[in-house]
Order: sequence, then structure tokens, then C-alpha cells
Amino acid sequence: MRKSLAVLLAWLRGWCLAPWRWHVARRKPEVDPGQRRLAMSAGVAALAGGLVGLTGARRADASAPPDPGPVTGRRWGMSIDLDSCTGCNSCQIACRQENNIPTQGPEAKYGAGHIEWMSMLWKEPEDELAPPELLPFPCQHCDDAPCVKVCPVGATYQDSEGIVVQVWDRCIGCRYCMVACPYERRSFNWEEPKFEGSLAQMLNPDVATRTAGIVEKCTFCSHRLQGVKEEARLEERVMRDSELQHMPACAASCPAEAITFGDLNDPESAVAKDRRSPRVFRLLEHLGTDPKVFYLRRDRGEDS
Amino acid sequence: MKAPEQTLKPRWVPLWWILVAVAMLALFFGIWCFGQQLKYGDIVTGHRNPGYGGAAWGLYIVFYVFFVGVSFAGISVSALSRLFHIEILKPATRIAELMTISALIAGSCAVFADLGRPLNGLLDLPRLARPQSPFYGTFTLVVAGYLFSSMVFFFLSARHDAAYMAEHGARPLRWVYRLWATGYRGSVAEQRRHNKSSFWLSVTILPLLVAAHSTLGFIFGIQAGRPGWFSALQAPAFVVLAGVSGTGMVILALAAARKIFALEEEIPLLTMRWLTNLMATLAMVYLYLMFVEELTSTYAAPSADRQVAHVIVSGRYAPMFWITVGCLVLTFAIPFVMRLRKVTSLPLMIAVSLLANVAALLKRFLIVVPSQTDGSFIPMEHSGYSPTIIEYGIGAGLFGILVLAVLLFGRIFPLVPSGTLLPASKTSGADSRTRAWLRFGVAGGVACAALLMITVGLADSFRLFSAGELDPRIPYSPLIFAGGLMLLFCSAIAYEALPGTKSSSDSGIG
Repeated sequence: MRKSLAVLLAWLRGWCLAPWRWHVARRKPEVDPGQRRLAMSAGVAALAGGLVGLTGARRADASAPPDPGPVTGRRWGMSIDLDSCTGCNSCQIACRQENNIPTQGPEAKYGAGHIEWMSMLWKEPEDELAPPELLPFPCQHCDDAPCVKVCPVGATYQDSEGIVVQVWDRCIGCRYCMVACPYERRSFNWEEPKFEGSLAQMLNPDVATRTAGIVEKCTFCSHRLQGVKEEARLEERVMRDSELQHMPACAASCPAEAITFGDLNDPESAVAKDRRSPRVFRLLEHLGTDPKVFYLRRDRGEDS
Repeated sequence: MKAPEQTLKPRWVPLWWILVAVAMLALFFGIWCFGQQLKYGDIVTGHRNPGYGGAAWGLYIVFYVFFVGVSFAGISVSALSRLFHIEILKPATRIAELMTISALIAGSCAVFADLGRPLNGLLDLPRLARPQSPFYGTFTLVVAGYLFSSMVFFFLSARHDAAYMAEHGARPLRWVYRLWATGYRGSVAEQRRHNKSSFWLSVTILPLLVAAHSTLGFIFGIQAGRPGWFSALQAPAFVVLAGVSGTGMVILALAAARKIFALEEEIPLLTMRWLTNLMATLAMVYLYLMFVEELTSTYAAPSADRQVAHVIVSGRYAPMFWITVGCLVLTFAIPFVMRLRKVTSLPLMIAVSLLANVAALLKRFLIVVPSQTDGSFIPMEHSGYSPTIIEYGIGAGLFGILVLAVLLFGRIFPLVPSGTLLPASKTSGADSRTRAWLRFGVAGGVACAALLMITVGLADSFRLFSAGELDPRIPYSPLIFAGGLMLLFCSAIAYEALPGTKSSSDSGIG
């Protein structure tokens, strides 16, 4: 009795202290305090400038913030060449292994309760002789993501490099993001994930396993991206596009090299080049979600 | 007019016990079901991933929307009766307010049951909630503002009867009545103060009510990614349907109170007829809104919207849809015919109220579920959604809360505001000049503090102070906002319940 009370008290205390702890933990290491101060003073200056402008004085230019320099931010994106895709499903398997997604039996699949970050959409063609149409289908990492808008606690958000991430520990499991996502790219843990037998020993230590009652989704393998970043930092160089192209587990495992990852802001990256291809399209573009996964239409040789 | 303490005895006590037992049974079954869900995860429910043919939201959200809808009528009936001095509604006010409070509690429990991690929700929503999400409204506006304001309303308007019961009620409970009365003596000045504060409370609550019900509609109405939901009509339609089902529930509760607590004299049939006519009118308006909705989504709508509309009108959900339409038509037609034939039949009014609530439940199901099971832009599989016994059990438990609240409360407190005179009714009890200033000062101070809390809490919930970071700068700022809303209503309590000047208390009771 006393022990359980102590556990309860410790738990409550943890909860009460959590906001401060998180506030410290979440400070972004890349932003040095000087820059933060600069940004804040820029904001204050902009506000002051606005006020001055409102009162009609023409001194707004004098109080304008100094130019912070060119934008060097990265914006991660993915391109998937449907012409190269053979539909081998290795991206799906690799994703499952890399991200500790529990394997489930056929019943779970049938009952629509299974978890999948990377799926394979597939459509039988009208012409019997033609191969079926396939579409590897990860989270689209929308720039204007409905799931981010509706999350009541901010458990899902877009990070500074454009990846729509989900903080497992913060999710309360209301599933609003699931009903808001037009791509249906979010899965709920309907029960405690089970890793039977030797699967428990094969868990990836870089990715936290999730508990029952939370929503999970593709993160563009942000832990692997972190690895690439750290390697480049140790060697004191910038990240090379060649090491990013096949960074996510799905891209790394694709035998046809149909999946390419990279920085959309870098015009020389493979993804940016794919994006300029005449074959490019995005899914459900009419909804205005601005996804960052670009598909390259199958080249059936009809046009040439 | 019977003395209030006489109305507390049920006419046929075994019936009261049976009903309480059934409601308790339902409640405990609901709690057991919730325990099962906590133990095994949401796999025990019928919810599954949308896009694979399942529905991530199902009966819990249906019940949540339904109960918050039921709460509509309660507070609007009493606010309307006070704002426009509709005397005929007066006997219904207390039952209606009780309905609002218990329905809101049941609705909050439904949300709680829906969360994958309810405990985290309980702690994280007050700490991190974002106003950008319509869910914020469900948490702050509905629970804090709406529920709390109804409680304040309820508390203040029942002080008169509580003061009477403190003298004449059951001896073991007198301390409760005395606490409730908070020094109320019924002097002229106190009555005047009550009229004033309840007018202002009504003025505040009515917009809050529209906002709260609209927020519910916005949960669905602003989702472009879900065909069938994306419609500007959702918010107003939610307000209207809430009126239909809520008024129906109040009529049912009035009928039950008449029967169980022998209140036939206190609750005249005319009151119930007034409410039935209101319900019929609202049902007609809702039918019109439904027609507009179906026409828009079938005529030349995008194919995904059309597909959902077809599934509802002529596909898998067609029986449910046409039952809903039939119930709504009858909800309008029966009172209309009663009006034409100039009859007022209690059984018919009860039947109409039941039909209206069946329609409301089914219509909510038709709003929530088909857009998920059949409205996916990227359909991968088809499986469908069928609720499990766990979900029905929790729903039964929620109804149990509603029934228990009316039954238990009816035993200890008069369900109809009585006009019994208190000994101090003849005294003026007017404030001295300093006391009047003190009263205004305290109430105004509380209100100002509340407004400050509302502003700061809301601004920080928007992450304005933390420059786009994930957390608010001030911990628990959504709670500060909600607390500010609550405090705002507390200023009415401060205004009313602050004791009068010494000189007037000499002639009071006790």
C-alpha cells in the first residue's frame, strides 16, 4: 500500500516537473543564444517598425533589423520513380525492421488494425496483360499538414527542416490526426506492440518502441538522418547529397534505386532534379497540403 | 403550491429503486468496459485505421456529440426563460439545468473513453492544449466554460429553495442546504440581485453555448481531407440538432419527474407542449439543413463527396439514413397535427421526444462514421465499422450517469423551483453605501482578474510568448485560460453571495 502510494507520488511529481524538464530538453542545439537574441530583437524591431509605420513616421527604415544573411535551411523531400519500382516490397519490410514496427498476423491486416509506415498501394490494370500499377506510399510530409493543425497537444509538428514528426510520448491518442490525414498515413497502436521470440532481440536501439494508445507515423528515418549529420560534423564537412540519397531505410533497401531522398533547397540534389522532371506529380494535390514526396510517372514508352 | 420538501418523496418508491438499480448497473457495466479497454488497449473496440476501411472515431465520438447536444437545451431553456421572461418555462428550468450538467459530465466521460491514453490526456490537455485545434474548444469552452457556467447558474438559482430546505428539509442533510444557501434570506434586495446576475449570466452563456456547439461542428466541418465532412453547414447544423435532441431529453426528464416524483401540478402540460413545439420547429429547420447538405453533396460535388453521399442515401447506411429522416419528419408532424386538432397528449409528446433522440443519435453516427469508412481519398481495403459490446457498454454507462443524476438529485432537492416565501421576503435587506461599493469592488475585481487570466492564458496557449516553440512559456497556460473562464462566472457568485449589511440581517431567518 505504502509502496504504491510512493510510486503514485513519484509519478505525480514527475508530471508536475515535466514542463520545465521538457523546456530544457527541447532547446535546439543548432540555434546559438546569440542568434536567438538576434531573432528576438529582430522581432521586437519589426514590431516597433510596424508601430512607427502605423503612426505615419517615415523612420521605419532606420529601425529595420540587420539582414540575417541567406537562408541556409534544408528542406527534406523524397522522390519515387514509379518507372523503376518493381513492387518487390523491400521498402516496406526495411521500414518495418528499421523502425521497430511490430509484425502482425494476417488477422490484424484483415481487421484494418495493423501499423504500416510505408505501404504499397496497388491497383489492377484494366488491360490484363499490363503489369499492375504500384505506388510505394510513405508519409507525404506535407508543408501544410492537416495533422499538424489539428493535434490538440502539439504532439505532431513540422520541424525546422520540414519533416512532420511525432513525439510519441506526448500523444494522448485522440486520433484526430488520423481522421484529418487525407493520405491515411497514420497508424494507431490498438494494443501493446508484441515482439515475439527472437524479434525482441532484433529491435533497433536507435528508435523507441511505442506503447498502446498512441499514433505513429513515418519520420523520414530522422534518426538515420541524425547519424549522417553527426558523421559530417565529426569530419568537419557539409553533408554530401550522395550520402543522403539513400539515407532512409526504404531508399537504402530499394534494389531498383527508385526511392531518392535529399534536400529540396539544394538545386543540385538528386531530389531537386527529379522534382523538375516532366514526369513529376504529387498525390491529392487539389487539397493544397503541399506534400514533399514527388512521384515520377511511369514511362510506358507510349509518348516516345 | 406544495411545499418543496413534500415533492421529494417518489410516488411509488419501488419504481425509484428499480430505476436507480438499473442505472447503477449500467454505470458499473460501463466502468467495467472502460477497465477492459484500459487493460487490453483499444483493440477491444470496433475502431480501426481509416483508409483500411475502418473508422478511427466511432460510438464514443457519437455519444460525446450527442451528450453535449443534450446539454444544449437545459441551459438555453433557463437562459431564454430568464432573458425573455417566459413564465411558462419556469417549472422546467431546474430539471433542464440538471440535465445540462449531467449531460456535460457524461460527454466529458465519452471523450475520456475515446482517448488512447486517457490519463495522459487528463494531464496534457490542461498543460499543452493548442487553441488551433478544434479539440481545444471541447476542452476549454465545453468543459470549463459551459459546464462551469451551468453549475454557477444552477447554484445561484437554487439558493432560494436551499434556504427553505435548510429550515424544513431532511435533518441529516440540512448542513448541505445551509452551505448551498450561503446566507440567502430571500430579502427584496437579494432577489433583485439574483435577477440582475442571472440576466447577465444568460447574456454571457448564450454566445458561449453557440460557440461551444459550433466548435463541435468545426471538429468535422473544417477537415478538407475527409469527404462528407468539409462543409460550412456543419457548425450551424450541430447547433440546431443539439436543440432538437436536447429539448427532447428535457421533455423526457420532465415526464419522468412528473411520474416518479408526483409533480403533475408543478409541471403543467402546457410547459411540455411549449417545449414540444420548439422541438418540432427545430426539427423542421434541421430537415431543411439536411436537404441542403444532401443536394450539395450529390448534385455536382467532387466524386469522393458524392460517393459518401451515395453510401449514406442509397448504400450501406441507407436504412439508418431513412430511419433518421422518418423520425425527424414525425418529430415535426405529430406536434403539428396535435396543434391542428387542439389536443395535448402526454404519451404522444414522450413518443416524439424519443423519436427525436433516436434521430439525433443515428444522425450523429451518419456524420461521424461513413466519411471514414467510405470517404477515404486513398482506399486501400474495405472492412467497415461495427461497434463492440465494450462501446455499447460505455454508452450505457453514460446514460446511467444521466438517469442517476436526475433520480438522486430529485430525492434530496426540489426539482421544480418553488415560489415558497421565506420569512425575510418582506424585508428590504438593502446594502449600505459602503457595502454596495464593496460588492461591486469584489465582483469587479474577480471579473478583471478573470479577464486577465483569459487573455494571458489564451495568448500563451497560442504559443505567442514562446515564439513558435512547442510548449507554452507559462506552464499549464490552457488551464489558466479555462480557470479564467470559470473565475469570470465566479464573479456572479461574488456579487450575489457576499453577505448583506449587518442591519438587515437582524430581521432574517435563523
